[in-house]
Parts: sequence; structure tokens; C-alpha cells
Amino acid sequence: MKKGIISGVIIIVLAICFVLQGQGFGASPGENYKWYCAQCHGLNGKGDGPNATKEQPVTPRDHTDTKGMSKLTDADIENVIRDGGKATGKSTMMPPWGKTMTDAEIKELVKYLRQLCKC
Amino acid sequence: MKRIKVYQKLTVVFFSMVFTGILAGTANADVAGGQKIFEAKECGACHLTKGPNQDKTFEDKLKRKGPDLWFAGSKFKKEWLVKWLQDPKPIRQMAYNSIEKKNPGDHSKLSGKEAGDMTDYLMTLTSKDVVAGTIKAKKDLMGKMVFEKKQGCYGCHSSMRGAKVAGGLTGPSLVDVGKRLQGDWIYAYLKNPQAIIPVKRMPTYAGVLNDSEMKSVASYVASF
Repeated sequence: MKKGIISGVIIIVLAICFVLQGQGFGASPGENYKWYCAQCHGLNGKGDGPNATKEQPVTPRDHTDTKGMSKLTDADIENVIRDGGKATGKSTMMPPWGKTMTDAEIKELVKYLRQLCKC
Repeated sequence: MKRIKVYQKLTVVFFSMVFTGILAGTANADVAGGQKIFEAKECGACHLTKGPNQDKTFEDKLKRKGPDLWFAGSKFKKEWLVKWLQDPKPIRQMAYNSIEKKNPGDHSKLSGKEAGDMTDYLMTLTSKDVVAGTIKAKKDLMGKMVFEKKQGCYGCHSSMRGAKVAGGLTGPSLVDVGKRLQGDWIYAYLKNPQAIIPVKRMPTYAGVLNDSEMKSVASYVASF
């Protein structure tokens, strides 16, 4: 009986966690990057996506900039992807993706960025 | 004398019925006529009219060549739609589903009569997830804060910044969007994007913004 209740609680907690995090479409980190991030950061990560117009108040970060990117920890990158620029003291031009991608996808994306910056 | 009055009344009732019948007939003919034009011009090759959209992956989405219309009657303002179909100026700077190609601006153009019929047909397509009468367009201060400060909506959407059009290019333009979209649709999309456009490049804001913020930003954007 006790076991049944515990399993029930675990299932409910897992279900809540699943609902609260982003949905995700089972895409690879590279596909997610090209679908979402490339809009501003460009398909090759140079910060030259179509949204990087002259009138914008800030320019998107160049993910191939080894020096600049190496200053950020994996946790910094993960936080800024999940909660957006404002939550981490940066520009609101970087939106929060925590409800769009799953936590696992965001962690994979951090690894993908490390490949882009070679850092 | 009494008999004449009865005849007069009957005549009025008769003509009223005939007139109402003609009107109803015309209205139905317009919807049916619009659907016929939609089929004849093969609009369904690019636009989905039977919803909800069942896309599950980016690949599913990439197969689509134009925006979904299965909720057109819940999304568009009728007066805007009838005009746009006759003079279809691009709403997106980039080609649909692309972040590389510019919008070629080659949407087919309809005559006044065709556009009227097509609009009558498209306005019959609605989504149960869009609740009419929830959002009133207004210069909502909280909405403005969310749009400009809390989130950087103009990062992807162009809008009027003072007297100039500025902003990103991958999202649909929000210049004069209040003439184009119903605020109720904007709110429904923010609140439950899965039910409206399941695969999209825009971040999901449900769970990021609270309900009151979503309503405010929908009101604010609808006032453009």
C-alpha cells in the first residue's frame, strides 16, 4: 500500500516536472541552434543572423569568439539560454528559451556552443 | 378597411421573408464561392484550413509553405483581410519558414469580388481556443513594459519606434498589427501556442509571463 502511494507521488512529481519544463521537438543541438538561435546569432554563430539589423540596440554575441566565450562558464551559458538576457544582467534582446526547449536540450546546446567557440 | 390592412401586413411579411432569404442565400453563396476560389487557386498547397495543426517536428513545419489559415476567422480582422487579398504586401520580411531568403512578395492577388468571397469563407474558419471578447485593444502600460523592457519583442518583430520602423526581420511585422489581428488571437497564441502554432521559431512565453502580462501585451500589440 505504502509502495503504491510512493510510486503514485513519484509519477505525479515527474509529470509536473515534465509539464513545467520546455516541450522540445526531439531535435539535435545543431538543429535547435539553426532553428532558434540562428535567427539572431547566424547559421554559423558569427552574430550575423537576419535579426541583427543596424537599428537594434545591441548586437548578438559572436559564438565563434573564442576569447569572449571562454570567459563564460557552462552554467552562465545555460542560465542565459534558459532565462534570457535580463535574468542574467544582459540585454532583454536575448529571450528566455526555458519553456521552449527541454533542460536536456539546453545542456546539449551549451556543448554545441563550446564546439562553435572552440573553447 | 380591415381587410386592406391585413393584406398590407401580409405583403410586408412576404417581402421581408423574400428579402431575408435573398440576403441569407447571398451570404451562403459568398462562403461557398470563396471556398471554390480557394480550391481553384490551390491555396491549400500552402495554407492549412483543417485544424488543429498536428506538426511534431521542424521537418513537419518546414514542409509548410505558408501560414495556417484554419483559425483565420479567429485571427484576422475582416476589413483588413478583404483589402490585403487585393493588394498582398508582404507581412514578413523573410520568406515563410526561412531565415535565409527574403520574402519574394509573390502572393497571388484577387479581384474585389474574389477577395470578398474568399474573406467570407476564411472568416468561417475558427479555433475553439480563441475566446472572442477577451482582449480589448488599448495602450496598456504593463503591455508596453513587457513588449519593450521585460522582453525584447522587437528583437524579431519590426514595429514603429517613434516615427521609424525598426526591429528584427524573422517574425511577422507588427506595424499596424491592430488593423490586421484580433487581440483575442494574440492572447490565445501566447497562452497556449501548442493549440495554435505547435512548431514555431518564437519562444514559448506561457510560464515566462503570467496571465495578466499576456493579456496586457496582447491588448498593447492590438493597439498598434
